[in-house]
Amino acid sequence: MFGQLVLSGIATGALYALTAVAVVVVFRNTRTINLAQGDFAMIGAFAAMIFIKDLGLNYYMALALAVVTCVTLGIAFERLVMRPIADSDWLTLFTATLGMYYVLHGVAGWFWGRDTKAFPVTFDPTPIEVVGALISHGHLINMGWAAGIGLMLFLFFRYTKQGIAMRAVTDDPDTAMLMGIPVRFIVMLTWGMAGFLAAFAGVLLAPIVYVAPEMMDEVLIKGYVAAVFGGLYSIPGAILGALMIGVAENMAGGYLGSHYKTATAFAMIVVLLAFRPQGLFGIQKRREF
Amino acid sequence: MHAKVSSAQAGAAALKQAFRRHNIAAVVAMFAAALAFPFMPGVEGWMASQASLIVIYIIAAQGVSILTGYTGLVTVGHGGFLAIGAYTSALLSKFFGVDLVIGIVAGGLMAGVIGFALGLVFLRLSGAFMAIGTLGFAFFVGTVVNNVPIFEGREGISLPDNRVLGMEIGDVGFYVVSLTCLGLTTLFIYRLVHSGVGRAFMALRDSERAAESSGVNRLLFRTLSFSVSAAITGIAGALNAHIVNYVSAEVFADIWYSVDFLVATVVGGSAMMMGPFVGGVFIVMVPFFLEELADFAFIFKGVVLIGVLILAPAGIAGVLARPVQAWRARKLKALQQTGDAE
Repeated sequence: MFGQLVLSGIATGALYALTAVAVVVVFRNTRTINLAQGDFAMIGAFAAMIFIKDLGLNYYMALALAVVTCVTLGIAFERLVMRPIADSDWLTLFTATLGMYYVLHGVAGWFWGRDTKAFPVTFDPTPIEVVGALISHGHLINMGWAAGIGLMLFLFFRYTKQGIAMRAVTDDPDTAMLMGIPVRFIVMLTWGMAGFLAAFAGVLLAPIVYVAPEMMDEVLIKGYVAAVFGGLYSIPGAILGALMIGVAENMAGGYLGSHYKTATAFAMIVVLLAFRPQGLFGIQKRREF
Repeated sequence: MHAKVSSAQAGAAALKQAFRRHNIAAVVAMFAAALAFPFMPGVEGWMASQASLIVIYIIAAQGVSILTGYTGLVTVGHGGFLAIGAYTSALLSKFFGVDLVIGIVAGGLMAGVIGFALGLVFLRLSGAFMAIGTLGFAFFVGTVVNNVPIFEGREGISLPDNRVLGMEIGDVGFYVVSLTCLGLTTLFIYRLVHSGVGRAFMALRDSERAAESSGVNRLLFRTLSFSVSAAITGIAGALNAHIVNYVSAEVFADIWYSVDFLVATVVGGSAMMMGPFVGGVFIVMVPFFLEELADFAFIFKGVVLIGVLILAPAGIAGVLARPVQAWRARKLKALQQTGDAE
């Protein structure tokens, strides 16, 4: 029972991690909690569904095109909405992403309806045994994808020019600009990365649950909680936070009852914020936020 | 020479006094018109109900504006205080059959006390952390309401008819009660904002460090802002329970209340007296007019929100107030110039 709960918790946590990392990446370069992150993913899932169903593409082609769609969406959002208000206070930036949330929710409901739809590609439902616990095929594949993306991010931030520039903007945007880093381009790239991660979060989750405008709402909230666990600045912290929340809520679901799943994540966050406001791992760098 | 300058100054002060009187007259006229609304010909009971709903949203948004607009702490959790106010009043009315007035006061007090406690718990948070913390609080309240037996979860609690001072009241009576509450909260917030306490809130908003070094007690005023803000939203909650005489977790555990109040505050104008009024009307009337087109209502809300943020960061009330403010500034300037000429 225990091992089983831990393993399936890690599987869910891996999906939360994609959203949590996107929240962190956007937050540390723009000071914004992106409420539309889940809806980027939802649009990605819908896009993939259309590519498969209506255009007859295979899963991988659809995934690639969904990535393109979401990256475009992220960049467009930065250019059209976030850039004109980039110098505003925190409340303005935050509510602007809320506006985007409303718009994307409405657009999805308008075009595709509010009912839940099954994703056209499903995985083999027979569970596989891993170190004494059972796990479904789909979860295992998703964990593989998530790990691959994590490795890719690590390489990106460590070795590429853009990745290093992105970290420089995180540390201090003014100094970065003085050093000749195109800060605005980097911020745009950040939103593009948020779209990239969202596409994977959406398309990987869709076969396990369903496709609907509100499919990502709960995942998004868990993603925030995970991001705050890591102190909102640390990517490894966010990943670890996501895995912890996945496991903890699965434990609560297993031992207390499934009502308590979401509440567990929030009870954890309220306790954490009361005693360690900077998160478990993070040193809050820019004190004013 | 001296006498002339001071006469110009006295003139300016008198003019400012006059402007304040105009403001008060405008607000009183607005309330009088609102009070007369249900007695106008052609207005039916359900319209009074709808109007009460707007009033409730305005009160709730006023609560949010104290914390978010004046003290600068973004809250996404005031739906939790709405639920606390609603259930306090509902349980009192169910078990003791108390008067609506007592229910409203008790709902406000209970929310205020819990708001005080939450203010202490989140003492060190701000910005994004505060937003997520308050969101967590709203979820926590939702879970409690859903699962603790006394709140009867999704079954809900049906309440007896509303009684005020021993009299049974209908939709119109309820509207009058809500409007009275709104009048009192508006008066209270006006006094608060123009007092030393309000200035302390705004000083904390503009810079916590600067405020503290000027002797503003951060602990005191932060928790005070939290509890006042929560109490006002709690009053709205108590009213919201009695508007349909029914409370259930289906409604009050919903996170969307919290978000709606924040949107109402921001769209209206978060640090203006009239902001919550404009925002409350907006947030209730958009779904009302677009009832058949729920998805379009979502898009519309989002577009208006983003448009307001980009084009009018002070909110719609700020835009509406701009011509009046410009006219007043011109008058003041003209007065000063005649003072100079003399």
